[in-house]
Amino acid sequence: MGRLKQKGKAGAAKAYVTRSSAVKKLQCSLADFRRLCILKGIFPREPRHKKRANKGSTAPTSFYYVKDIAYLAHEPVLNKLREHKAFAKKISRALGRGEWSTAKNLEDNKPVYRLDHIIKERYPSFIDAVRDIDDALCMIHLFASLPSNPRVSPALIENCARLTAEWQLYVMHTRSLRNVFLSIKGVYYQAEVMNQNVTWLVPYQFPQNIPSDVDVRVMLTFLELYQTLLGFVFFKLYTDAGLVYPPPLDSGKDESGAGVGAFNLRPANPSPATGAPKSDAPKVSSKEVRQTIKNITAESSSVPPTDVDIDRTGSLPDAAEEEFVPQASKSDLDVPSSLPTLLSLSSLPKPSSTNIFAPYTFWLSRESSRSIFEFLIRSFGGRIGWPVSSGGGSLFTEDDEAITHVIIDRPAAKDDTAQERERRRRRKYVQPQWVVDCINAGKILLEDLYAQGKTLPPHLSPFGERDGAYDPTIGLANVENSLVEVDDAELSEDCQEVEDVDMGSELEGDVTSRAALAVVAANDPEALRAAELAAEAAGVDYGTFEKEVQKKQKQQKQKHKEDAVNDGGGEEDMNKILMSKRKRQLYERMKYGEKKRATEHAKLEEKRVKIEKDRRRKARAS
Amino acid sequence: MAVTGLGKVRNKRKQEEVEEVEKGPFVGAVDLEMQSEDEAEDEDQEGDDASDDGDVDEFPEIDAASDSEEESEEEEEEDTDDLNEEDTLDENSDADSDLHIFPKSKKVVSDITGQTKVVYPEIEPDYDSDSSTEDDPNRVGNIPMHWYDDLPHLGYNINGKRVLRPAKGDELDKFLQTVEDPNSWTTAFDKNAQMDKPLSAEELDIIRRLQAGENPDAEYDPYEPTIEWFTGKGKEEVMPLSSAPEPKRRWLPSKWEKQKIMKIVRAIRQGRIVGSKPTAADKKQQFYAIWNEPPSNQPPPLPAPKPKLPTNSESYNPPEEYLPTEEERKQWENTDPEDREGDYLPHKYPALRLVPAYDQFIKQRFNRQLDLYLAPRIQRVKLNVDPNSLLPKLPTPNSLRPFPNYKSLQFMHTKARVRCLSISPDGAWVASGDESGVISLWEVNVGREVKRWSLSSKVGAIEWCPRLDACFFVAGTEERLHFFIPPNISPAMLTMTQSTLAPPTLPPATQSSIKWISTSGATEDGPILTIELPSASGLSRQLTWHRKGDYLASVSSSETQGSVWMHQISRRHSQAPFKKIKGAVQMVLFHPTKPHFFVATQRYVRLYNLAEQKLLKTLMPGIKWISSMDVHPSGDHIIVGGYDRKLCWFDLELSEKPYKVLRYHSRAIRSLHFHPTYPLFASSSDDGSIQIFHARVYSDLMTDPLIVPLKILRGHDVQEGLGVLQIKWVNKQPWLVSAGADGSVSLWCS
Repeated sequence: MGRLKQKGKAGAAKAYVTRSSAVKKLQCSLADFRRLCILKGIFPREPRHKKRANKGSTAPTSFYYVKDIAYLAHEPVLNKLREHKAFAKKISRALGRGEWSTAKNLEDNKPVYRLDHIIKERYPSFIDAVRDIDDALCMIHLFASLPSNPRVSPALIENCARLTAEWQLYVMHTRSLRNVFLSIKGVYYQAEVMNQNVTWLVPYQFPQNIPSDVDVRVMLTFLELYQTLLGFVFFKLYTDAGLVYPPPLDSGKDESGAGVGAFNLRPANPSPATGAPKSDAPKVSSKEVRQTIKNITAESSSVPPTDVDIDRTGSLPDAAEEEFVPQASKSDLDVPSSLPTLLSLSSLPKPSSTNIFAPYTFWLSRESSRSIFEFLIRSFGGRIGWPVSSGGGSLFTEDDEAITHVIIDRPAAKDDTAQERERRRRRKYVQPQWVVDCINAGKILLEDLYAQGKTLPPHLSPFGERDGAYDPTIGLANVENSLVEVDDAELSEDCQEVEDVDMGSELEGDVTSRAALAVVAANDPEALRAAELAAEAAGVDYGTFEKEVQKKQKQQKQKHKEDAVNDGGGEEDMNKILMSKRKRQLYERMKYGEKKRATEHAKLEEKRVKIEKDRRRKARAS
Repeated sequence: MAVTGLGKVRNKRKQEEVEEVEKGPFVGAVDLEMQSEDEAEDEDQEGDDASDDGDVDEFPEIDAASDSEEESEEEEEEDTDDLNEEDTLDENSDADSDLHIFPKSKKVVSDITGQTKVVYPEIEPDYDSDSSTEDDPNRVGNIPMHWYDDLPHLGYNINGKRVLRPAKGDELDKFLQTVEDPNSWTTAFDKNAQMDKPLSAEELDIIRRLQAGENPDAEYDPYEPTIEWFTGKGKEEVMPLSSAPEPKRRWLPSKWEKQKIMKIVRAIRQGRIVGSKPTAADKKQQFYAIWNEPPSNQPPPLPAPKPKLPTNSESYNPPEEYLPTEEERKQWENTDPEDREGDYLPHKYPALRLVPAYDQFIKQRFNRQLDLYLAPRIQRVKLNVDPNSLLPKLPTPNSLRPFPNYKSLQFMHTKARVRCLSISPDGAWVASGDESGVISLWEVNVGREVKRWSLSSKVGAIEWCPRLDACFFVAGTEERLHFFIPPNISPAMLTMTQSTLAPPTLPPATQSSIKWISTSGATEDGPILTIELPSASGLSRQLTWHRKGDYLASVSSSETQGSVWMHQISRRHSQAPFKKIKGAVQMVLFHPTKPHFFVATQRYVRLYNLAEQKLLKTLMPGIKWISSMDVHPSGDHIIVGGYDRKLCWFDLELSEKPYKVLRYHSRAIRSLHFHPTYPLFASSSDDGSIQIFHARVYSDLMTDPLIVPLKILRGHDVQEGLGVLQIKWVNKQPWLVSAGADGSVSLWCS
């Protein structure tokens, strides 16, 4: 006989620990425990049998792995937190006694924890870290735009702003931006870094206020971790790209509101030829850059960005040709497509063209956000200028001859000066969505659809929908069909009325019966032919007959469909009787989901048909 | 000294003068005082003492009192001395001049000592004298007053007389005094006098000072001018305090301090002590190549799931069909944020510049973080299967025809719900009985009613005799079983039936609680034979024939022992097969081939061998309350249905547990029936539906029976929670007859 098993000595009872007992074990406060969990990435677990894990109680509790907690117990940060607690006591005592010099001494020797080891633990390889920076990027972008308050210090905001600028610089430098989506929440960007898709969301530039039901402590703890993580990730990315990290900040430019332009990207081993800072993106692609960095010798890494700049500004047509021709030989992607319908847009495979804006120079009018469009245009090789009201650092002024496009977001003004008109003739005035749609399409779209003051075509998500979801671009065919049907029905009604007037009602019954006959034998062309003849003999004209036949066929089809649904549905339901309970539930869940998606799809299609119909009716009426 | 104090002093002076007048011998001494200020005190006292000593004989009575009083006065005077010398001088001179108005003293020679002495005339205590107007203070002295607590007097006066305790009023007097006397609040209890005395102005002043937290002494001056003793010209100390020579340590550097400093210097040189670092510098260098070393081989922790990527509907300018309609918007706004489908409503803006800030941005980021650190994560395998592949592979119903799939005719009982029905063995007639006691006989093919019998109580069960040579059926009512012969049968069959029901030779009747009553003659309108069950046995719930048509088992609804009876037609004999049964019997059945008997109680189905009279098996369907059961014609399978919607299929060869449990009706199962020839069975339920199954049983023991649901027949209405109460198959056809609570009997054909 084996040993008697004692309760609570093995299995779930031993593997899990409740949160309160974990806190007790670690001998720290709940706030400290939360902070540790956030930093170390430890989250509660759902035991398979809650009752077993909780010593027979079924009260709602959160459980942690005992091993996770044991792992936390050895954490150096926990020690630092304890030291900090002691420090807080000491300093409050010193301040209470008015011992300022002691307090200052204490403050100088304040215990500070470092998170390097946690970063290394949580992300053993660099790829792991890159895979997980989405949330971090969102957070620093958010905090970079927050106003400072007693909880959120200006230094923190400044650091976040610096990190965002560094990230944008890197993305621009390596040309790794892939997709952009203007949503109601903010702007989604997707970049491809180390073959990983990194997606981040940036709020529109408005002052945000932290709502009262948000715990700022939690957000700040996350931010602490994210800042460290991004620091290390950027260091690695910059170093791999052969750049100095952190990029030196030009304080004078920063004062004038240059934003991203205030930072200088500097190669790690500056050669005498390329000593000047890269103020603009290089001509060569990111791949080449990486290649060259790999086989680096100081002389061979020749990236002459400044020269390019001068070239372009000096003689734009030449530069455009230079860039244009070799690319055209590779692929025709940079040629503006003649008919950029939504259909063709989505059917084309996403090209990897990363400098579609290279031949163009943009001018950003003051009402469009500079932070968004400067980043977008420069990541795709374009040059961009902006008025002083949007900040300093613009490379050229509004009356520069080289400007090819103006990004403008206001309705067209009526009274133009001669100079204006001249400008309008030479430049393309586009709405901001054009830039984003071009990026998502991977090529330059026709500007006419997006011209100033025009109603814009819908802006679609470049990330795609889930499989089988309603697609507004390919749904067209279906919708067309149903629309045609609708029109026909309307037309036929009209015709019918005319007929009624002409011939009287008894004939109509005849027609329909004949048509019905025909449809019954619709599969048989001979019978159809016979019915046609009969109809002709009866004096029905061919058009009416055709319509009748079509109508009947449609009805027939619908009936078939319903029958099929009825039969099939009933059968499936009945077969469900013989399934086991577990399988049946699974089946029912799946069916429920399927049905829900189908209804959503149908609803969208229905709405679209309705909208389309209204539009046609209006067009006909006018 | 304050001005008020000065005034008081003056008052005192006057009293003093009066006393001085009395005390003649002190005048000279008082005069002497004026010689020098510094010596005044001492001399005065000495003088006093001397005079006291001298005058002991003369004025023994007033000695002590005057002494003490004078002393205290002089003490007071000392304080005032410095400030108002002149006042005192003047006053003293006044006093000298005043002395002359007093009665003249005369010098006489004492007969005792022989010396001269000054003798004053006796003072008449009249209205002129100050002291006579005052109350004589009691002079008991500073004694513990509690000595006299329970005595009527307070002590003794100077004459050795008792000083009586002053009259003390009662509480009312006290109160009146407080009301009448406006100064009563400044009185206090004088211990010596044992009565309330008004406080003097000085005492009140002391109280005021104590209350105000000041020094109680009115004369105390906290701001006295400092007296410079050693500063200022000519007051410097010239001589050293000590003549010791100056020690060496005053000019030699300390060896121990040097050692201590050298220790620190050494520590700094060795790098053990590091100066405080500049904080800004180490911040700058906090990032380094952390991923340069190869990673450890332990797997990285699971990455957190990424949030969903935005779809078209989130666009600032979505296609119009994504925009919510007015109802959708209202519905979205009315639902709780937790219950909403998405976290935003699609919105269309005509231009990018018009897009406002998203007010939920921070909240949503925060929620994401809560998810990251507070939400348990489970790794779920995403099933990427077609749900239809989960369905069991079964032959299609169309390949398993024939089975009933439409209602071909309906027969109505107008009055009440139809509880039971039975179909003749040849499949031509249906007898159905309702709760108003009407039994209708009608044709299966056309639904025409041939005959109707009306009974006094409701009909609970009808069963047609399975014999083919005789034709009759039994109807069970309250405590009675009636035997009926249908009309229009062939004469040969009629005689056969009559002879069966009324056998010519009968064994002698035994004593039994059950009576067999034959109705004389063949009356068309009544039962030919009636069995009277024992009273209080209730409605007979079920009847079942043995396949040979001689034995009939009946189940009554009473819970008592005699609910099951076995009737033998040929011998007109009834018996109760069970002496004792656990639980209420719901149903009984004869085995189609063997002499076995199934009894379904509320929870279990028991199988008895009638020949050997023993229990063979107990089947445990796991149903809370069994409602119906039926045996497969082969006799090896049985289905059991319950009020808890379950249907269990038992393979008698296999186990006591069901081979399959099906739950498909939404309400209680009411009736089950196997088709006698076709591989079909059906179940009816209170949800008003009938489910037809194909049930094929293989003779090969290794193959499981095949059960295929074929069709759901709907057509009966649910009334008062009751649906289809009984179903029966037509013998040689794949047709089904069902009786419903809505009073209709339907025939379902293939």
